[in-house]
Order: sequence, then structure tokens, then C-alpha cells
Amino acid sequence: MKQVLEGNSAVAEAVRLARVQVISAYPITPQSHIVEVLSDYCATGKMDARYLRVESEHSCLASLVGAACGGVRTFTATSSAGLAYMHEMLHWTAGSRLPIVMAEVNRALGAPWNIWSDQTDSLSQRDTGWIQLYCEDGQEVFDTTLQAFRLAEWVNLPVMVVMEGFLLSHTYEPVDIPEQEEVDRFLPPYNPAFKVDTKNPFTVNSIAPPSIYMEIRHDNAVAMDQVPERFDDVEKEFEVLFNRRYGAVEAINCDDAEIILVTSGTITSTARLLLEDLRDRGEKVALLKMKMFRPFPVELVCRALKSAKKVAVIDRNFSSGAGGIFLQEVRAALCNRQDRPLVFGYVVGLGGRDVTKAVLEEIYKATKDGDVPSDKSVWIGLREVKHAIGR
Amino acid sequence: MSVAMGQKPFVVITYETTESNKTGSWRFLKPRYQDKQSPCSAGCPAGEDIGMIEMLARQGLFNEAWEMILRENPLPGVCGRVCFHPCESVCNRKDFDSPIAVHTLERFLADTAAGKGLATTPQKLPKRNQRIAVIGAGPAGLSAAWFLSMLGYPCDIFEALPEAGGILRWGIPEYRLPLAVLQSEIARIRSQGVHILTKKAVSSESFHELRRSYSAVFLGCGHAHGAPLGIAGETPESVKDGLDFLRRARQGERPLCDGFSVVIGGGNTAVDVARTITMSGGNAAILYRRRREDMPAFGDEIAMALEEGVGLEELVAPSAIECHDGRLRLLLRKMKIKGRDKDGRGRIVFDGKKTVKKVVDHIFAATGATAAELWYSPPLAQRGVIGFSHCVLLLEEGGAPVIYGGDLTNEAKNVAQAIASGKQAAMVLDTYFERGIDEIKPRLEACVVGDGPALSMEAYLGGPRGLRSSHLVQYAEINTDYFQNETRVTQPRLAVEDRSRSVNEIELPITAETALRESGRCFNCGLCDECDNCYVFCPDAAVIRGQHMENRHINYDYCKGCGVCFTECPRHAVIMGEEGS
Repeated sequence: MKQVLEGNSAVAEAVRLARVQVISAYPITPQSHIVEVLSDYCATGKMDARYLRVESEHSCLASLVGAACGGVRTFTATSSAGLAYMHEMLHWTAGSRLPIVMAEVNRALGAPWNIWSDQTDSLSQRDTGWIQLYCEDGQEVFDTTLQAFRLAEWVNLPVMVVMEGFLLSHTYEPVDIPEQEEVDRFLPPYNPAFKVDTKNPFTVNSIAPPSIYMEIRHDNAVAMDQVPERFDDVEKEFEVLFNRRYGAVEAINCDDAEIILVTSGTITSTARLLLEDLRDRGEKVALLKMKMFRPFPVELVCRALKSAKKVAVIDRNFSSGAGGIFLQEVRAALCNRQDRPLVFGYVVGLGGRDVTKAVLEEIYKATKDGDVPSDKSVWIGLREVKHAIGR
Repeated sequence: MSVAMGQKPFVVITYETTESNKTGSWRFLKPRYQDKQSPCSAGCPAGEDIGMIEMLARQGLFNEAWEMILRENPLPGVCGRVCFHPCESVCNRKDFDSPIAVHTLERFLADTAAGKGLATTPQKLPKRNQRIAVIGAGPAGLSAAWFLSMLGYPCDIFEALPEAGGILRWGIPEYRLPLAVLQSEIARIRSQGVHILTKKAVSSESFHELRRSYSAVFLGCGHAHGAPLGIAGETPESVKDGLDFLRRARQGERPLCDGFSVVIGGGNTAVDVARTITMSGGNAAILYRRRREDMPAFGDEIAMALEEGVGLEELVAPSAIECHDGRLRLLLRKMKIKGRDKDGRGRIVFDGKKTVKKVVDHIFAATGATAAELWYSPPLAQRGVIGFSHCVLLLEEGGAPVIYGGDLTNEAKNVAQAIASGKQAAMVLDTYFERGIDEIKPRLEACVVGDGPALSMEAYLGGPRGLRSSHLVQYAEINTDYFQNETRVTQPRLAVEDRSRSVNEIELPITAETALRESGRCFNCGLCDECDNCYVFCPDAAVIRGQHMENRHINYDYCKGCGVCFTECPRHAVIMGEEGS
């Protein structure tokens, strides 16, 4: 049934329908609404789950590692500084092969304080071994959260469902919420690969000497490499039941395009509008939406971009000294391909600044008019600011 | 629809225990359980184990808590009422909210035991050959006999008056210390095997006989007479002795105190006299040469006296008395504060030549007291005289040792000090008989509570208390995260209009529920109460709990010395030390 829901509530509904058994969280804007709803569900019995209040995000994830080792379905949500505080445990979770699902609501990192949308928080955790799936609207947030449990439990890897703060977390949209029986058909009870047992105690992850550590990491890599294929399998199952699918990437009009815009998250929706306008004007432009960032779907990206002359990668994130993070990944994916397009990179919308259709059109023009891309990302919409310390 | 799982992930799982990894080898700081001294116990002249008493009380183990008091103090019903409770002024809880009402709880425990008719079976050592004579059945003599008999010595107490109790019987009004309470304490001391012979005054001649027929004599005589004011016009008729007034009142006489009386002095005796007069229908005012805040009397007693209509004039000193038409004219000099005394009180000087005259009906002196006989007081330092913190031992040829205690020996004169002197005297004599003179001081030092001078009989008898560290726990060492602010018990009292005729006890009992709550406020400074914080927090599961407190220990094979147990112990009963120290 369609309901008008805030993005955060869409996550909470998916978690409820996924019959999560243990939730642990520490509040942080703009994520807090998710766990507020869930803690209420736990308190009132609407969910048969244990809600753990913890004193920090580090403990939050540590407690879920413990719970997941006990063989239960687990969930947490965080943002920005909270995610940064989890960093050590992010590695530990992936190394433990525990299918923990997290809603990560993008928020800029300080300093200075900023609570608005910016993907640098999740992208700076790209090497922690978590699957990362970026969402465009409220329905996708709901669907991806459900899919995340299925995928995570299939490959035994944790999944981060990433959504932009306020633009998704606090925006109300109609979201189709299925019945519990339908969700149960899609998502069977969690059947853990291993489960600690007090009657037959064993230790998980005690110590792995140099003679075995690499093999463990390689097994981890093999599992990660399967993810695009497994995600496709999950989406097929999902589509049969719910008649929706997204794809690890979504290529729109890419086959005949000269210039392809590469986007993620809500900027994609704005780009879809621009695409229609430009196509109406006869421009040979296309759009590649990146849903999956980890693992980076190299094959899918290269296939989508192979016919283009130019690619414009638009990043609402920034790695100082390296530029936009999607830009780096797209360039790296293409670098060994024959006849690869020129890859232009643009940084926009940091700290929650609006990315309008006009901004995207400026990017399109700059790409069309540009001969050689800059090595660095080009910053779009910078204002001239007189700044000084103090008064 | 397929729900096949992926391959089994490669995760390190071992069925070996982690016990092979002896993380104790990483340790460079070592935690250790160590019970310490609470400031209240060290502040209590009788050295009561207050932290442990309250720990038992808050579990509802009222009998056990009462028995624990009796190990160090034979008079809990008395002390719960009239002791000046120095324990409370040093209580660490005062820095958190307000001190534990130790005296109120002590009285509750004593009353509860008395109400149940409980008898004790205190540890008693095998009978010794030496018999001890005790002169005076006041708190010092009663205590000396109680502890000596605990150590196995048969004791006979010689008391001049018809009843035992000394100042407790004759010098404190019944509204503060009911007769039945005192009698029940004395009955218990008798039941311990102590013989109390009343109406047996000891003269200086019979004293020497006692020194021949007993192995030792304890002399615990107190102040029988008030000291004179030493001013012009003072006669036995014009200035009456406050102590004598109280004694007559306790003997059932209706003392003559009609009209307007003034009481000179600032101690408890002065307040007791003034209150007794007011309650008997007279008018009374206390005249004190310093200020109210300098009065040695208990603050609560002063406040109640004022409530009851007793007047108080500060900064006046009597200088002369004249008879005036059948009444008395008292000449007073005004005083003022100038600087400070060495004890911190304001130093008083005459306020120029300012004087006040008062016409009164009776003048009572309560400014000090003296011994009835010179020989009651301990001898001055000389060969054969050994002074201790609370008593003096006299050894000389031709007679048994004499040990002096009580008010005449102690600079601070109160019940708790008297009990301390009786206890110390028992330890001194026992060590003297058993091990010889040279062993006395080291043995006493081993029984000191905290920084002293209070002594513990339990430690003397080799009990676990003697194993505690001498460290006095400070407020900063308490982990107050584990305590919540709670209001101190309010002492219930008779309404002012119901306090008359000096009979009914004014301070009323508290309920068991109140006692549980009040004892639950106690930090139990330095004492493990098995709260299990260390067990819960230890990241190495290295805290091993036994069935009894003594069995709790740390498994050093795995303790990394992280100090979490030390930090999270609410009571500072864990210490950290350098490895190997």
C-alpha cells in the first residue's frame, strides 16, 4: 500500500518488515528519525526485537558484531561523525563476514559543523569492506534496505544503504509498502553461516597469523567480487514479487550518446530532467546512475561508457588531494580500456548546497566545450568570498 | 525461488579456549583487593567499624550489625544518644550531600536489639588467673571490665553510689538518656560475668588493699564536683553546682529552681541544667563568655533549649555576686572577640569596662568539674609511670599495677573517650601480663584504626579488621557515579509542648525502613561489599568470586592490569600497584 513517508521512515518500515532481531544505534542528525521510530517499535512490541542503547557508535557496531555472531539479523543507522567513529569496527564487521545492514544518511563531516548532505562520509569508508548502495528516492531507499538484507546474508558481507541527509531522509514521498507476507516471501529468516553457542563454545576471530591472514582476505575479496552478480540475482527475485528493479548501475540512453553524465543519489533525478530537455534539443547526451559503489561495478560501468566521447562525473563529495571520488573510480575503471572516453570531473553541492538543473547544464556545457579534461575535479558554483579569521 | 546461501565464509573459528593466551604477562600494574579505613571509624574514639556496621544494617542484618558494635563498644544504646558523634563530622558523604546519621542508626540498632531481648555471645578468651579490680562504674570502668572480661580476666567493679552508670546515671537528664536504656546496657555487661558491687566506696586505704588482693586495679573515677567560678561573693549558697543539680534531679528530687535562674557555662551540662529548669516550670538563661557557635554543647541541644524557652546571652563573664533583697545580683563583664585562639575559636577579651547587672534567683555553675579525691587522678610523669593515648599505667614495687582511665586521664572528656580508655587499659594490661612491658606499645600500634588514636579490639584479637590497610579513604577516592543524592534522615522529636517534667525521651525512634534507607546511603569507604562491579567490568574475566568475601580474588594469569576494577570500584576497595612491588 502506498504511504506518504519520510525517507527515514521508509528505512524504518523496511527494517520492521525484515524482522530484524537486534538494533543498536546512537542518535545523530539526520539519521535519528530512523532509530526513533525503531526504538518505539521495539518498546511497544510492534517489532519483536532487542534495541540496544549504546554510549558510542564504536560500541554500537561492536555490539552488533556480537549479536550477529549469535546468528540474528541486525541493523544500525548512522551519519557523518558517527560513521567515522565506527571506522575500526567497520573493518572488523566485514572481516568477520557478518551480514549487518546499516542505513548511512549522508551528512558533511566537520570541521566546520555542517549537518547537510555530502557523500564524503560514506565514501571515505570505501576501503572497509562494506558493500555500498546509493539511493535516489524514498521508494529506492525502502527497496534497497530490504534487498540489502538478502544480499548481505547471501554473500556474508555487510551492506551500507546510503541516502542523502534531508534530501532523502527528511523528504516525504509516496512509498509503496508491501505486506509482511510478501516481504517474508522475498526475505527468508536469516540462516547464519556460523553461530556461537554457549553449549559448545568457540572463539571467532581470535588470531590469524601471517600464514593464513592473506587467504582470509582473499576469500573476502572473492565474496566481494561476486556481489554485482548476486545483487542482480536479488533484484530478479525482488522484481518478480514487487515489479521494481534498479540495477547496480542504470544506463539511460548510453548507447548513442557522445557525452554521458555520471551521477549518484538525488542528483540523478535532477539530471533525468536535464536529459529530457537536452535530448529535445537534439543533444547526444546520456546518463549513468551509479547505485553500487562498492564493489565498484567496473564491467557495468565500462560497458555503459564505451561508446561515449566524453564523460562528466559529478561528485557531491571530495577527497582532498585527489578530487571527486566517483571520478577517481570511473577513471581507474576505464584506464586499461581501448578507445576510452575523456573523463571530466566536477565537484558540486558540498555541505548541502543545492545542485540545480542549471548547475548540471553548466557542467554539460563545460564538458561539451572542453578539449582536455583537467587532472583535478573542477569546482562548480564557487562564490567569491572575502574571508578572514576573527572579525 | 532459490534461497540458497553462498559459500561458507572463511572465518577464524577455534574451539581451543583463549586460556592458552595468558594475558597476565602484559601486566605492569597490578590490582589487588584491599580493605581500607573509613574516616568515621578512625574518627570514632571507640574505633567502631562503622562502614561494616552500616553495610550489615542496610541488608537488614540488624542483630549482626549490633553485635559488630559490641565488639568495640559495650554501650551502643548510650552512645547512639549522647555521643558527640565525631564520626559524622568526618564522614565522606558530607562532601556529597550530608553525612550518614551514624548515631541515629547506632541507637536504632541498640533499641532494636533491646526490644527483641537479644543476648550476645561475644567471643571470650579462656579464663585467666589474674583478677582485676575496677574502681568506678562509669563508662570507663564499665568498658574496662567489659573488654577485660572479653580477654578472659574476671573483674569486680567497686561503685560508691547505689547504682552503676556514673555520669550516665547521674549527670545526664533522663529526657536524653532513659534509665531503662542504661540499665539494659549494664545488665549485658553483668551477664558477661562482670561483678558490679554498688555502695562500695573505695578509700585511699582500701585502694591499697585492692592493690594487694587483685592482680591489677583500673581507676576510672570521673568528675564528681563542679568547679567553682572563682568570683567575689561566691558561696555554696549563692552559686549551686550544675552537676549536683542534675544528680538530684536524677535521684528524683524536685530541685529548687523557681523564679529566674542563670546557668554559667557553654557545655552540655550547662544546657542540660537550663533545659531541666525550664521543663520543671522555671525560667532559665545560659550565660556564656563566648558566642553560641563557640559553645562545646551539641548544636541540636542548644537549638532545642532555645525552642523550649531557655535564654542565651553571649559574650558575658561573671565577675561578682551580691545578695540583694533575698535575690542575687550578678555582675557580668561584657566580652568581645579579638583575633583567634590557637584552637581556632575567637579569642575573647574584656569589652572595655562594659558591665551588665542581672537580678536572679539562682545561679548554677557549669564551667568545669573536678575529681572528688586527689588520688583519683593519674600520677605525673615519673619512673614507673607510662602514658598512653587514653590511659596511664603505674608500675611500682609493693603493689599491683594501677591503670588510670576516664575523664581524669583524657583531655577530651566524653563517653566515647571513656570507652576508648577502658578498651586501651584492657589491651595494656593483657599485653603486660602475657608478653611483658616492652610489647605494649608495638601491640597497640598494630590495633590503631586509620591514623588513630582509636583502637580496635577486633584487630587486637586477630580478627580480619587487623588486615586492613591503614589508608584513610578520602572523598576523592569514592566513585560517586554509583551513588545518588539522598536526604539524610531527619531526627523525629517530641513536640516542644510535650517536653515537660524531664522524663520522656525527646528524640524519638526511627523505623526499620528509615534505618535501611539511611544505612544504604553509607559509602562503606574502603570496604568491599561485593557489589560485583569489578566482576562485571573486568574485560579479561579475571575476577573470581568466591562464596565469601575472603574468597574474591583476581586471576593474575589473565589480568592485564587495565585498572577498570580499580576505577569502577565505588568504595576504593581495590588498589593498583607496580608489578612486583
